[in-house]
Amino acid sequence: MTAKLTRLSFLALPLAATMAFGAATAQADDWQPTSSVEFIAPANPGGGWDTLVRTTSRVIQEEGLAERNFAAINTPGGGGAVAWAQIARDDGNPHKIFATSPPIILVPLAGTSRYDHNDFTPIARLITDYSIVLVPADSEYQSLNDLMEAMAADTSLSVGGGSAPGSMDHISIAGLASAAGLNASDVNYIPFSGGGEAMTNLMGGHVEAVITGAGEAAGQLGEGSDIRALGVSAPERLSGSLADVPTYLEQDIDYTFDIWRGVMGTPDMPEEAVAYYENLFAEMLETDGWADARDQLGWLDAYQDSEEFGDFLDAQKEQFSEVLSELGLLGD
Amino acid sequence: MEAFNNLMYGFGIALEPMNIAYVFFGVFAGTIIGMLPGLGPISALALMIPITFAMEPASGLILMAGVYYGAIFGGSTSSILLNAPGVAGTVATSFDGYPLAKQGMAGKALAIAAYSSFIGGTVSIIFLMLVAPLLGKVAVSFGPAEYFALMVLGLTAVVSLSDKSLVKGLIAAVVGVMISIIGIDLQTGTERYTFGAAHLLDGIDFLVVALGIFALAEVFYMLLRGGGGKEQPRNAIGSLKLTGRECRDIAAPIGRSSILGFFTGVLPGAGATIGSFLGYSMEKRLAKDGDTFGKGNIKGVAAPEAANNAACTGSFVPLLTLGVPGSGTTAVLLGALLVMGVTPGPAMIESRPDVFWGVIASMYIGNLFLLVLNLPLIPLIAKILDMPRPLLLALILIFCMIGVYGMSFSVFDLLLLLGFGLLGLGMRLFGFPAAPLILALILGAIMEESMRRALQISGGDWSIFIDKPISMWLLIIAVLSLVLPLAKKAIAGVRARA
Repeated sequence: MTAKLTRLSFLALPLAATMAFGAATAQADDWQPTSSVEFIAPANPGGGWDTLVRTTSRVIQEEGLAERNFAAINTPGGGGAVAWAQIARDDGNPHKIFATSPPIILVPLAGTSRYDHNDFTPIARLITDYSIVLVPADSEYQSLNDLMEAMAADTSLSVGGGSAPGSMDHISIAGLASAAGLNASDVNYIPFSGGGEAMTNLMGGHVEAVITGAGEAAGQLGEGSDIRALGVSAPERLSGSLADVPTYLEQDIDYTFDIWRGVMGTPDMPEEAVAYYENLFAEMLETDGWADARDQLGWLDAYQDSEEFGDFLDAQKEQFSEVLSELGLLGD
Repeated sequence: MEAFNNLMYGFGIALEPMNIAYVFFGVFAGTIIGMLPGLGPISALALMIPITFAMEPASGLILMAGVYYGAIFGGSTSSILLNAPGVAGTVATSFDGYPLAKQGMAGKALAIAAYSSFIGGTVSIIFLMLVAPLLGKVAVSFGPAEYFALMVLGLTAVVSLSDKSLVKGLIAAVVGVMISIIGIDLQTGTERYTFGAAHLLDGIDFLVVALGIFALAEVFYMLLRGGGGKEQPRNAIGSLKLTGRECRDIAAPIGRSSILGFFTGVLPGAGATIGSFLGYSMEKRLAKDGDTFGKGNIKGVAAPEAANNAACTGSFVPLLTLGVPGSGTTAVLLGALLVMGVTPGPAMIESRPDVFWGVIASMYIGNLFLLVLNLPLIPLIAKILDMPRPLLLALILIFCMIGVYGMSFSVFDLLLLLGFGLLGLGMRLFGFPAAPLILALILGAIMEESMRRALQISGGDWSIFIDKPISMWLLIIAVLSLVLPLAKKAIAGVRARA
């Protein structure tokens, strides 16, 4: 009831609200959580969303950025769909936010979630990772173009990935193949239940190539490693152990792919609450504690505020729909 | 010699006073978490990540590893006393542990579980220390075809697990496979058996089924038969002491299961649960008194307990040497290590020897703590059986519900738990064995996924399963283990007629 009233006063009847609740407007610029904030990871402990939620909550707390506690909550199920359905019912609640990434667009497109990014309030994009194409160290393929030519000649060439068909890794490699002049559906994509499992299968020689997150692969590359990287989907070269890996663009394939992660809020979250979280996360990205954690996890800052993030999500949806329809995986 | 020096270096780290405290706290917390049905090591470890962040990486991993193997150690307690598996890895322990407790030998069963766990854990630490660097190769040699063959071999145990009627055992196994299929199919992204329910998209958690079919069904069964005072009193805990004969009986099963468990743990994706089932069914087939398995055979407690602890230690091999997690629990550990600034992988043994050897040495200490901690506690914990029947039943019910709700915070899962309780009750009333269902549920999903993955890689060519030597040998052993008992019977029949 309170949530409803708040929404009504700030969105539908701003003028009336100013007159009726003068005090509330005075606070509007400077909204603060009045209870602890539920920060939801729509998955089990251990995954990407969970790591993001726990890391950001910890940094916010350690750096003393918020008065109130940020409580990490796991709501697993349906690749996110269970949590989204719960959050969608909580409209206007300013104390509930959740971690998000491409599945908020891909899962609804595949037809297994009734809710998509338009049902929630974008708060901020925080970080990004990129895709990386890996082959065994002794593989005959020396460049991405070698691999693409081989894939064009033999459509049964197996490429493993860490997620189901139609989800991130698959879209990433299918889009790459398409940009290199192949049919997206010519990729023999073998789904594994995680990037780690895909990489062990690559080391054992069970698949010929693997596409996974660059951050996840970084620890596996380097001297004496059993695997080798052919390219990353970033617009520019990455740093650290990935500095030697050429981008797709350098190899004349005009294609980039972001595995972004960010934060969204309940449907119709009050504007001043959105502003509060926007600022909070922007501030958090500037701290040393964040810099340490980010570097260790192989993430890259990619901040966008609420409005930019919203536009970005719309653009992503368009891009993903195209690849999915080419693959024949677009749901209803 | 080098291994010895390394180990001494490791003990130097593990024996620092703070690290001893961490090991102790870890295994103690783990034991408690393990005893509570449903509450598993994964959520406990995820909660600990913020605590370990500020620690030295070696100390943090020592603490978290302690929680993990402590939970597997403690999980047997509720399996044996309440028929309510504390963690997934101890489901097989309840097959014989619970009958033993009902026969007034709870003390003995718990003691055997503690000794077997200790030996299984210790044996596999020695393996971990000596061969871990070489085992990376073994871990990656298993691809989809090999996993399929291993799961087929595991499933042949259905025959030995269905005691009276093979047909009923097979029916139970098929139901198990069907339950394992529920959810989004990883191979195609299609929903199967979900009826549009978002809660079913990720499938049904194994522990919900196990708690329903074992613990809840037992509660319902006792209720059906009335509070009846006719039954023999359950309040006898019995002695903890093992006779010399019993020690000899369980020595070989513990040894074999420790080794089997360790190698199962090394394979990414297999882990403690599958290890314990493989150990149990192997011993059931090898034992001369195999027909008494499931009715309270001490070997049936020793084998899965040795195997699950060995597998738990084994699962550190892919984590520490390859940097890839083999299970949900080790995935959380990997995340924690990354946050602490350590990247596990082939280079870690050289770059962070303190973490690698410190953790291994701490495991010796932790296992010793577990034994010393658990043995004196057995008479106290087993007192739970002295409780009046109505209280005990209510307690089991509450534990199961808290456990299931604590996993997912979902009321839907509570309804599922109830449903599986009723299914389990029906199965008991009509003489369907529960073990094949559980086995098929664990193995079915991996079997199906691996088969289709292998065929997708080979372009639909079935010869991939016999072209690969490991896969071929596993399949041959599977066929033999099905055919040999039949052949034996046939020969015995011919002889009897002659």
